[in-house]
Amino acid sequence: MVHQIQKFYEQLKEEGIVFSFTGPVSQSLLEGIGETLRQKMTLEETSINVTHKVFSIFVELMQNVINYSEEKGTGEYEQDLSFGILIIGKRDEHFYIQCGNYITQAQKGPLTEKLSKIQSMNKDELKKYYKEQRRKETADDSKGAGLGFIEMARKATRPISYDIIPIQTGKEFFVVTAVV
Amino acid sequence: MEAFVREKGKATPWINFDPEKNLLKIKGESYPENSAKFYSPMLEWLESFLQQSNKGPIEVEMELVYFNSSSSKILMNFFDMLEEAARSGLPVTVQWKYHQDNDISLECGEEFQEELEYVDFHLLELKPDE
Repeated sequence: MVHQIQKFYEQLKEEGIVFSFTGPVSQSLLEGIGETLRQKMTLEETSINVTHKVFSIFVELMQNVINYSEEKGTGEYEQDLSFGILIIGKRDEHFYIQCGNYITQAQKGPLTEKLSKIQSMNKDELKKYYKEQRRKETADDSKGAGLGFIEMARKATRPISYDIIPIQTGKEFFVVTAVV
Repeated sequence: MEAFVREKGKATPWINFDPEKNLLKIKGESYPENSAKFYSPMLEWLESFLQQSNKGPIEVEMELVYFNSSSSKILMNFFDMLEEAARSGLPVTVQWKYHQDNDISLECGEEFQEELEYVDFHLLELKPDE
């Protein structure tokens, strides 16, 4: 087991992974990882704009997991915890931020529709869409503003990619990747 | 009317709304877990402030290094309320301050500016040591 951990650690490093996290995601965890992420990028003399973009995508992705992950804690006090996986890495001089969590069947349709729409848009169209959505009234049951994915697509240097993997009836695994 | 003050938090900005001076200041970063919840007291304060009669011109000073998408929506509401007041004749000036090397903050300021017609919206570049 100990050797496996070390192997796993080296494997992650070889793949250029700067951060990886699996488990319950919370706002305070987001704040902690976010601060360290910025420190690391500053030490590596990453430009302020790239750092800003990576941080921004990271925040939107983590808050998506917090708000929309279908997998929640089971204990009486854990019910508000949302589970997911986050990976931040660097490959060929580009940062990539990847996030995954379980979703319900009902979430699949609207997510696919929204993301494929965003994928087809160029930067100007994204800006217009962002402004339109920002002025829309938020549904009462919505925890976010519905702007997260548009924001990510605007900050990313390539179109954001996503995948929804069927696991079992009524349960799917959602993965989204953004590159800066 | 009492001033509306919030100390800077880890993911929330410093807010200082002074009803005597008609001066509204927000400074820092904004990415709380629940922006609607965090900002609702601020928007409520603004609503009652704007309802007061015989008010002088309003000045707003914003210095936001970073804000997330749900904060962006709240800020749009905030500016829309000021736009409404400006439309009905109350002068409102906004100074959007950004650091020279922070292109994103400048861009965000421009995108609010584009949405407002009656609010006098200025983009102000800060020197490196400011």
